[in-house]
Amino acid sequence: MKDLIRIRSLISAQVETLLNQQVKKEAYSSSVYLAMASWCNRNGFDFSSDYFFKQAEEEREHQLKFYKYILDMGGNAISPDVSGIKQEYNSFREVFEDALDQEVSVTQSIKNIYAQCLKEQDYVTNEFLNWFLKEQREEEYKARRALELFEVIGEEGTGRWEIDKHVGKIKYDSEA
Amino acid sequence: MVTTLTTPQTNTWVDVFATKKGAVYQSDAERCWYVDFAGKVARFDYRCLLKLKKAVYNVDIEAKLLETTKDPDVEIIFICACDHTYILTLLQIIALKEILEGTFVMLQLNQILQDRLYRIAV
Ligand SMILES: [Fe+2]
Ligand SMILES: [Fe+2]
Repeated sequence: MKDLIRIRSLISAQVETLLNQQVKKEAYSSSVYLAMASWCNRNGFDFSSDYFFKQAEEEREHQLKFYKYILDMGGNAISPDVSGIKQEYNSFREVFEDALDQEVSVTQSIKNIYAQCLKEQDYVTNEFLNWFLKEQREEEYKARRALELFEVIGEEGTGRWEIDKHVGKIKYDSEA
Repeated sequence: MVTTLTTPQTNTWVDVFATKKGAVYQSDAERCWYVDFAGKVARFDYRCLLKLKKAVYNVDIEAKLLETTKDPDVEIIFICACDHTYILTLLQIIALKEILEGTFVMLQLNQILQDRLYRIAV
């Protein structure tokens, strides 16, 4: 009996489902960052607003990377529904706390797909995921650094204005 | 094209999985499967078989059992872009689900066998 399923698709149904969930997660991240860009802009934090616009675009790229990979491997990529995006924040700091939470949840989710691929010996998908693991290093670093600015600069006086200015300069350039 | 037969062509098809209620066969030549269930033998290609699986697995059997409304307990399994529609009772859905579960286990087993016998260098 021919192995008709493997002929059609490199990835298993389970991995395909997980990758589609990740597509949705990246799309959700992109929308969350867009809402953050709006909030920051409305409240006078222009550097942070720009920072979040850039993040939103990056998340969209991540979404497409997963989406195209599923299709290239013979799977069915599903365009996700995204809803329930938080539009208002109680404070400038809360925006960055949420941003870090979001990145941590993305890292955990990718680790979970990686674990499933190892279980199935799907090293091809693992190799694809390596790019994202490295990316999450940077994403978590930047989100954590932004929150750190609240500690080292402090919010009193012109603190928030100063923090905003420094958010625009956050960079991660580890070559390791 | 709707391909519905009344009797399985068992001479060219391979048994994948069967219960007393029905069976699934594979045709290597046509690269498809035939599902013998509810009085008909229906042809499914790769995409459609996955859609059938999803449609059947998505029926919330427990919720249906607990339902107290007087509605007849029939479920319409309509598979988008495929040629087949099933109108099934709850018991038939349970039976079809059992057949599909068995089918996918056998197909997975077949993949493992193909890997071991022909694909992996030893
Ligand atoms: Fe991302
Ligand atoms: Fe991110």
